[in-house]
Amino acid sequence: MASALARPLITVYSEKNEKTGTSVHLPVVFKAPIRPDVVSFVHHQMSKNRRQPYAVNKDAGHQTSAESWGTGRAVARIPRVRGGGTHRSGQGAFGNMCRGGRMFAPTKTWRRWHRRINVNQRRFALVSSIAASGVPALVMSKGHMVHDIPELPLVVSDKVQSFNKTKQAVIFLRRIKAWTDVQKVYRSRRLRAGKGKMRNRRRVQRRGPLIIYGEDQGLKLAFRNIPGVDVCSVKKLSLLKLAPGGHVGRFIIWTESAFRALDAIYGTWSSPSSEKKDYNLPTPKMTNTDLSRLLKAEEIRKVLRTPNKRPVRAVRKLNPLRNVRAMLKLNPYAAVLKRKAILTIQKKHLDKQEFLAKKTGVPLQKTKQQVRYEQLIQKRKEAIQKSKAAKPKTAKKAKKAPAAK
Amino acid sequence: MQNNDDIVWSIINKSFCSFKVNTKTQKFCRHEYNLTGLCGRYSCPLANSQYATIREEKGIIYLYMRTAERTAFPNKSWEKVKLSRNFEKALQQINENLLYWPNYLKQKCKQRMLKITQYLIRMRKLTLRRQKKLVPLQRKIERRENRREEKALIAARIDTAIEKQLVERLKKGVYGDIYNFPQVAFTKALASEEVQEESDDEREEEYNEGGREEEEEMEEETRAALEDATEYVEAESDDEDMESDEEHEFTDEGPEESEVEDIEDMARPSTSKGKKSKVSVEYELEEALPEKTKVKNRV
Repeated sequence: MASALARPLITVYSEKNEKTGTSVHLPVVFKAPIRPDVVSFVHHQMSKNRRQPYAVNKDAGHQTSAESWGTGRAVARIPRVRGGGTHRSGQGAFGNMCRGGRMFAPTKTWRRWHRRINVNQRRFALVSSIAASGVPALVMSKGHMVHDIPELPLVVSDKVQSFNKTKQAVIFLRRIKAWTDVQKVYRSRRLRAGKGKMRNRRRVQRRGPLIIYGEDQGLKLAFRNIPGVDVCSVKKLSLLKLAPGGHVGRFIIWTESAFRALDAIYGTWSSPSSEKKDYNLPTPKMTNTDLSRLLKAEEIRKVLRTPNKRPVRAVRKLNPLRNVRAMLKLNPYAAVLKRKAILTIQKKHLDKQEFLAKKTGVPLQKTKQQVRYEQLIQKRKEAIQKSKAAKPKTAKKAKKAPAAK
Repeated sequence: MQNNDDIVWSIINKSFCSFKVNTKTQKFCRHEYNLTGLCGRYSCPLANSQYATIREEKGIIYLYMRTAERTAFPNKSWEKVKLSRNFEKALQQINENLLYWPNYLKQKCKQRMLKITQYLIRMRKLTLRRQKKLVPLQRKIERRENRREEKALIAARIDTAIEKQLVERLKKGVYGDIYNFPQVAFTKALASEEVQEESDDEREEEYNEGGREEEEEMEEETRAALEDATEYVEAESDDEDMESDEEHEFTDEGPEESEVEDIEDMARPSTSKGKKSKVSVEYELEEALPEKTKVKNRV
């Protein structure tokens, strides 16, 4: 079985969707751990950095010389506008509950708008999102229509970088079957819901493929007018483009030079990055992440103890003095004793009755059980006598032998 | 099987998947290759690199298979096997193609194939019966069209058109002599017609002398014929009345007003028109008088 860190060969496709002879080893970035939580966090923070401050006018609501009328005037104690002659006089002022008053906690421009993120975290998120873009399942689950492209990650020859006409760009996208994704963008164009419409954010659309190039020889001009398509240089990758919305798995089209540059930029685990100072790829917590396969593997199973299929459950304690079975479990002879006790009681009862019967002269009417009991005892006596009769000699012999001695 | 399956599933399950549809009780998967239609760890086509489905295209059932090696090439990842139309044979085909595959996939494939064959049978039966085509109505359009119909109805002014038609027919003589008109009103109407004719004739003579003469003649003749046709009964008596009325009408009334009045009068058929010349008939002078007074006021 191929190890998790094996690096397959990725074929480079020409701009006409034919396989050129060249192939590139998959850069190690694509084997980095995919951490959607880190990506989400970093994206969240990063997206705050483009914000413009907003605030209310600092004087708003305070441009009156209002004073409270105090108590004793049968009105609420809120500060009221001085003077007379207008509607405004005597109206409440200053409070957030008053009409024309200042709002609660007026917004300030010195709110902390921007967030700093640790460099390593930023790089981790970036690397994670690049790795995720190489997993077809994740790209599909994000919604990109990539079911017809020849390979993922998709690497295209450098000729694409020298496109300068949009027409060429469109033909290229059509040829490598990335056009369905762009069509999806077209179909998703709609008006924003909400007030954003009147705040210069009127139209909304999906994101399409991202093209990452090594060197721009006109490529930007060719692709910029196609809706949804973004263009990016390898040297300046941005998380906001690689994981839009904070979700991993954007559809990326790499040019050959960009793809080859990745190893140098991010490093492999064996060699650190040459472009970034002191940086190496994050090491994953698990090298082999196929948990279900691991749990079935022989090497692991051998080391485990046998599974306990029948767990012993706690049993309720039963009082032996009250519960017969519990008593018998502890002391089996108790059954004998009990039986004996019952029988003696019965015998005594019977004897008493017989005695009374004799005394009074009334013949006793015995119950079935009593009759049977008598019969039983008779039989036993007879049986005992028989057995004694059967073995008299041995018993006498045994007695004689020790007597002789 | 693949390294990524578990990671993919943990991402899809917890955060976002574009194919997942959530209801209050269940999670559905809209992926076309999903075997069960539900979103779950072992039925998600994205989270299982070794996967198989049954799909039907145009009545033919296919078995689709995908292995871990081919996931990197989305183009070629699905292998398509056509299944036999015989159900038992198809089951055997599934068994042999999915030999050594996990039991879950085998079972679900067979179940899905069963369902598909059943609904195909049902479809075939349905096509033999009457086909009802469901046509969706678009509420907005329906409402718009209804309103426009109403407006068109109003714009058409059907009653006025009917009125005109009836009057024309009356003039033509379609109805014969069924209607009784008050004498005075009728004569006025006739007179007004004559006035119109005369004025028309004058105008035409002024304009053209050459080409249109024939037409004019034709028109005059037809008109005369028409008038004769309508008036043949009353012609004898009307001469006297016409002379007296003409004087009035030249000066005062316009043809339009008289027509309107005629219509009003025709609405109430009062005295008989026919027997004027010999028998003395009651004239409704009261009707005539107000007209004259009206006329005088307008001057």
